Amino acid sequence: MSDRRRNLFVLLFVGGLVAASLLVIFTKPTKLGLDLRGGVALVYQAKPTKQSQVTGEAVDRTIEIMRQRVDAFGVSEPEIQRTGEDQIDVSLPDVTNADQAASQVGKTAQLYFYDWEANVLGPDCKPDPQNAQVTGGQASGSGAGGLSRYEAVKRAAGCPPDESGKATTNGQYFLVDNAKKTVLAGPQESRADLDREIEDRKIATGPDTDVVKTSSGALVVRAQKADNGKESTRYYVLRDEPALGGTDIKDPEQNFSGGATGSGAPSVTFNFTDKGRAIWEETTRGIAQRGQENFFGGNPQENFQHFAIVLDDELISAPYIDFQQNPDGISGATGSEISGGFTIQSAQELANLLKTGALPIKLELISASSVSATLGRQALDQGLLAGMAGLLLVSIFLLAFYRVLGAIAVFALLVYAIFLFALVKLIPITLTLPGIAGLILTIGVAADANIVVFERVKEEVRNGRAIPVAIKQGYRKGITAIIDANVVTFMVAFILFMLATSGVKGFAFMLGVGTIVSFLTAVLLTQAILGVLANTRVASSPAALGAQSTRSRFRWDYMGRAKYFFALSGLILVVGALAMGAKGFNLGIDFTSGTRVVAEFQQPATESEIRSTLAPLGLGDAKVQGLSGAGFPADRAYQVSSRELKPAERVELEQSLDERFGGTYSFETIGPTFGSTVAQSAIIAIIASLIVISAYIALRFEWRYAVPVLIALTHDILITAGVYALLGFEVNTATVAALLTILGYSLYDTIIVFDRIRENVPRMPRATFSQIVNRSNSEVLMRSLATSASTLLPILALLFFGGETLQSFAFALAVGVLSGAYSSVFIATPVLMYWKEGEPVWRARRARVAKANDGLVPAYATAAGGASTEVEPEQKRGPGRRITEPEDPERKVSKEEFDEMVKEVQADTGAAPVAVADEEVESDDVMPSDAAADLSPEEVVFEEDVRESKPERRQKRKKHGRR
Amino acid sequence: MGLLAWVTMGVAIWHFAIFLPDRFFGGIVGSFCFALVGSALVAFAISGFQVPGNSDVTIMTALEGIPGALIGMALAYFIGVRRGNPALDL
Repeated sequence: MSDRRRNLFVLLFVGGLVAASLLVIFTKPTKLGLDLRGGVALVYQAKPTKQSQVTGEAVDRTIEIMRQRVDAFGVSEPEIQRTGEDQIDVSLPDVTNADQAASQVGKTAQLYFYDWEANVLGPDCKPDPQNAQVTGGQASGSGAGGLSRYEAVKRAAGCPPDESGKATTNGQYFLVDNAKKTVLAGPQESRADLDREIEDRKIATGPDTDVVKTSSGALVVRAQKADNGKESTRYYVLRDEPALGGTDIKDPEQNFSGGATGSGAPSVTFNFTDKGRAIWEETTRGIAQRGQENFFGGNPQENFQHFAIVLDDELISAPYIDFQQNPDGISGATGSEISGGFTIQSAQELANLLKTGALPIKLELISASSVSATLGRQALDQGLLAGMAGLLLVSIFLLAFYRVLGAIAVFALLVYAIFLFALVKLIPITLTLPGIAGLILTIGVAADANIVVFERVKEEVRNGRAIPVAIKQGYRKGITAIIDANVVTFMVAFILFMLATSGVKGFAFMLGVGTIVSFLTAVLLTQAILGVLANTRVASSPAALGAQSTRSRFRWDYMGRAKYFFALSGLILVVGALAMGAKGFNLGIDFTSGTRVVAEFQQPATESEIRSTLAPLGLGDAKVQGLSGAGFPADRAYQVSSRELKPAERVELEQSLDERFGGTYSFETIGPTFGSTVAQSAIIAIIASLIVISAYIALRFEWRYAVPVLIALTHDILITAGVYALLGFEVNTATVAALLTILGYSLYDTIIVFDRIRENVPRMPRATFSQIVNRSNSEVLMRSLATSASTLLPILALLFFGGETLQSFAFALAVGVLSGAYSSVFIATPVLMYWKEGEPVWRARRARVAKANDGLVPAYATAAGGASTEVEPEQKRGPGRRITEPEDPERKVSKEEFDEMVKEVQADTGAAPVAVADEEVESDDVMPSDAAADLSPEEVVFEEDVRESKPERRQKRKKHGRR
Repeated sequence: MGLLAWVTMGVAIWHFAIFLPDRFFGGIVGSFCFALVGSALVAFAISGFQVPGNSDVTIMTALEGIPGALIGMALAYFIGVRRGNPALDL
């Protein structure tokens, strides 16, 4: 297929895709993430129970049950997914009450029925059914006869182990303070879990503290809640021999006590399974008979015995069995009812929990966040504004710098934006704020690819090639660097996606998808457009391409001055290290754990007013930070960061603020486990990225090229970290994502420089490595500056318009990109140069050059008279590479093409190769032997031109659409 | 956090190795590795075989990275000289 037909085909194909994409955009809805539409996000960590270990199967089963619970909760478009080995992310759009959602979705819901009096253990660890001091008598389960938690744990520890095989635990671990007689931590299923809890909650241990393990035969349960819903502080110790479990019941429903004729209080009714019914009847019969046996007259109610319903170690209800009404126990044929102390909502919740069944594993809530719809909408607006600003800035830059080429690139960027948005809707990808950041960054990636090619095209034009050939050569030579850079960016995005937390995953996914799409639009589409335009007046002059100037190189002794840049970097790093030592990092709650509340008030507020509101709540040391200038109205938006707050504490905080200022609130609570998970995954991601990047560079270049890349990346990351420490910016998960992204971006520039060094090494067989590096740097500096600018512009848009959430991220990226551009030229290449110059072959060459130049090695390789020492490297010659005809037969042949044709002819006739460099010509006795070499470009007549005169050939061409 | 401060200081010190004639074992990359590892190991020893956390670091923590980096680079240089690496002064 000819180039012209291929280009037209590509344009038609892209046109069709654009039409299809527009159709998708206008017909499909956009799926917005919680941070943009409002809702609740919960992160759980799975822990083993006696019944099940944390296996993939158990986690999957847990997710399935959680999904059923969420469905029962009535949430649309929920997302529940596994993260890593033992974490589960739950996203509940449009839900506002995070605490209720957490209690519904993540509750283990292990339900057990106990014969109460027969199992409540007294001081000697034996049941004492007649002793109201132990059982609570007719107030059973309400706390009467109960113990403090410390006493209950101590009693349970001294009880004999389970022998029935019915126990629900293997014993539980607690940390107690014997002096204060309090329980500090627990219950945990293992000692390791307890140790982790102690560490995470930073609980001080000492001579008075002790780890206590309860017996497997005894279970500490909390007394049931008071009628006002308040948690009880009294506990009982039960012999852990439940009669029935949650699996023995079916069809639980919220109902009203006693039906139409009953009290009408909310209750939960259920039926029994066949096995459950039999056990139920037997158990209640035993309870009734015991009541009967102990009745010696008087008020029979005083002798009613009870059964207890325990959910997750908490007593839900302890109803009595009326032995007079039910002397043979209660038939399970019509099911049963749990009543007492329920509201309609709590009864519905319990019914739903029982309906979906217990989770096979225990879940610990390690992070919870809630975003109000208003703040979500604001974040979306900020993200979109940043995106448009980024696109506009990059477009202006491309148009100003590359004119016609820039216009083509801008068109390609618009097509890219359409494709990507259509993909977001089609897949569908849940669009989050970090995802929008990823999208905006890929604008820079797409523009970078164009810049790499355009600079190559301009270079070819400046070297005298005709524009169509320059375009072809530019794309051919630029494509390897683009592929290398895009592959690395994609790999980093992939690693980030695999290892990062959910918020960062959105960013990584968009970065990865965007990189692939941008490659298609920035390379294939622009090449096709340029190919079509190459023979038109639009792109006929070098000026139109911005290549009219011949001053394309920044000839400067980069390697000679490398020492000073090294010293500069060294000084910056010293300052950074001192800042790290003196100030440390301002770690956000993602790492330290805590609660962050973002409030947008209805009335103006000052920091001191907010502090005075918080002080009575014991939060006087909370960090209050104004958010004005980040898209919020002045004096109305604040962020409060404090220690980890319990749900009740957080609600109290919000209520206090609301009473005084009014407003809407979003919050995020991060547990210590989540922080350590984030830090751990960040370190793994950075190491994995460095390994993958090194392996790729070693494969694509050679292993000695990989090491300077790693050193430059280390330099960039440490400088960014140092700047963060110096300026005291908060380090959060977004900063970690930014650091990883820096790895990819920093590499982009380095790959461009190394690609040119690799290309120049065979071209300059008599130059020292430092001269080759100088030459390469001078050739690509403009390109590096342009790609850095095109990446930096969208980042600046994020920094200024992206809102508070993205500012920290954008700042880290901006520092990293600047450092990356600098380190590519002034750190990576000098290290490579120093290392290579140490090799014997380069040492020898350096000695030769020094000897020929009075002991000095010039910065640039030039022969006598300032001529270049380049030679055209030997290339693999294939039919596709030979110039035997121009694209357009009517077009004149350029000097460059003419020289190339001369070499082709010499290759065919077996003549000795002609070095194009002047030095080669004057020093060697090789002279052109072919007559064609003596012709001027204008005198060359192509074979094809002769055939043009033949009418039948012309006809055939027309048939194929050629001129 | 302490480790990061030590390593940053070590890398910072290494940047000035470029002013010496390159006789390092492993060249400039060798000096980098020795400075990096040296700063971490010696500082670790100086701080009593503990890595200070984010709230425990002081300006001295960063300075603890200096001796190890210098020792590491000196060691790389010494090994290079012993192995007869010719000086590379660019």
